[in-house]
Amino acid sequence: MAPGKDLKAILGKLQYSDDAKVVQQITEQMKQVQARMAGIKHKLVVMSGKGGVGKSMTTVNLALAFARQGYRVGLLDVDLNGPCVPRMLGMHGQSLRMTQEGALPPVGPLGVKVGSMDFFLHAASPVRWKGPMDLSPVWLGVMEMNVIREFLADIIWGDLDFLLTDLPPGAAADKPPVMAGFIPDLAGAIVVTTASEVASDVVQKSVTYARDMGIRVLGMIENMSQYRCPSCGVEHELIEGNTEAMCEALDIPLLGRIPFDRTLARTFDKGAPLLDEQYPTIRRYQEIAERVSALLDYRKVLAEKL
Amino acid sequence: MKFVCLNCETYMSFEKVEKPAEGSLGVFFGCPSCGAKFSMVTNPGETQMVSSLGVQLGGRTVAAEPFEMTRGTLKEEALAGKGQMAAYLNEKLQAGQQAGASASATAATPSAQKKEEEKSGAGCPFSAMVAQMGLTSSGSQTGSSSIKSEFTWTPDAKERLERLPSFVKPMVQSSIEAYARRQGYTTITLQVMDDSKNDTNGIAWTPDAEKRLENIPDFIRPMARREIERMAKERGATTITAQVMDEAKEKFMKFM
Repeated sequence: MAPGKDLKAILGKLQYSDDAKVVQQITEQMKQVQARMAGIKHKLVVMSGKGGVGKSMTTVNLALAFARQGYRVGLLDVDLNGPCVPRMLGMHGQSLRMTQEGALPPVGPLGVKVGSMDFFLHAASPVRWKGPMDLSPVWLGVMEMNVIREFLADIIWGDLDFLLTDLPPGAAADKPPVMAGFIPDLAGAIVVTTASEVASDVVQKSVTYARDMGIRVLGMIENMSQYRCPSCGVEHELIEGNTEAMCEALDIPLLGRIPFDRTLARTFDKGAPLLDEQYPTIRRYQEIAERVSALLDYRKVLAEKL
Repeated sequence: MKFVCLNCETYMSFEKVEKPAEGSLGVFFGCPSCGAKFSMVTNPGETQMVSSLGVQLGGRTVAAEPFEMTRGTLKEEALAGKGQMAAYLNEKLQAGQQAGASASATAATPSAQKKEEEKSGAGCPFSAMVAQMGLTSSGSQTGSSSIKSEFTWTPDAKERLERLPSFVKPMVQSSIEAYARRQGYTTITLQVMDDSKNDTNGIAWTPDAEKRLENIPDFIRPMARREIERMAKERGATTITAQVMDEAKEKFMKFM
């Protein structure tokens, strides 16, 4: 530094200006997210601190359940590295249609609009980023945050009643705050677990973390509670545990229990999802969707029943 | 990032951005007072970090394409060829990446070793699947059950805590002890446990108000309780009475 120059004193006299226009562009990006989200009534995230609990299956079936109730539904798969929603809905191989106004999402069963990283990938291709920092965790974090931002800002969702976002497994640390940061009026999180104590132990931490981030946790869904026999339809216990106790300790409602249903799972594996609303497991999803609707409209329930 | 001309004691003005090499940016600044010129050159890592923000230094001249950053950064859609500078730095970074990848592979091994065969129900495809997912139906845990605490737990209180499923025990214990700490207790009794469960941060409920809350479906009740208590606190009430419930109902009617 030049002799006699005090940088602190110099900066104190100067007025900062964003002449590289970085702050301005980031502000505009956020405004674009807000504009896209403005037409969506309820924005929900489906999460779990534990992988393999059936989050995507739950998200997809909740989306279909809301659609069956006549709602306009969007489904955003932000599992960037393991997107599976398009395959489950028989939409693998489709893509977003780019227009000047934004990207038009493919429409799946029951009119559900879908956004997913899968639409950018060739069959069996993993997500690989170009550049020297493609393995840098710091850079990947920034990158993924902005990819999610583009999914929210660039897809022409239009007017929706529900946008359900399927968060990736183990997303307790970064994705919930990212989503909450982009969507200030996030209606809440639905947490998926299994009865397994291993899963419960991890999931309760993610609930606490989500709350710390200011995200309202609407309730818990216990997946794979029982096993529904594909031959006789009888349900048997599958995993021992006590999700009710966890919900009581966390002071959140248990929204429902879903059996492991081989017949239903196979249809999603094949990309030809079973949509029959009379099917017993689908009825369970319908009941959960009704409870979520009631929770989102809890003031009305209180006004009527208090 | 800003630069200061120390001679003129003013910020230098951003002028333009050039690409001196593939994966590199040259950002030009000029002093508005003395006219001094200055250029900052980024390495590929810094360039990539800027591009991952989805911004263009100096502002955009044309609007962003949908998914511009995602499509531009996915390797499969990447344009072929890299400049010398990028290749040079890439080589250096790749050397570090190999070490990282190796560490990652090593770290994964113990995790894989932890997976245990689900022996009960052998032959059942579902138990195998559950085991594969790392979910176990281990039932009650038989590990150490002694409570480590700064508080004295009476035997009956300790016994009640021990009866809880192991995975919620730490959370419940922590909650009870937080309540005891707030109240200045040093011993946890059954009464303290009961009181902590009903602790509503200084808000009490009369029996008739509690009874009215039962009209609400059970899955909405926790949220209703919190909302009513929040409303009562805002109004300076410390007890939820039938009158407070009436006021709450009136407030919620406005949302219909």
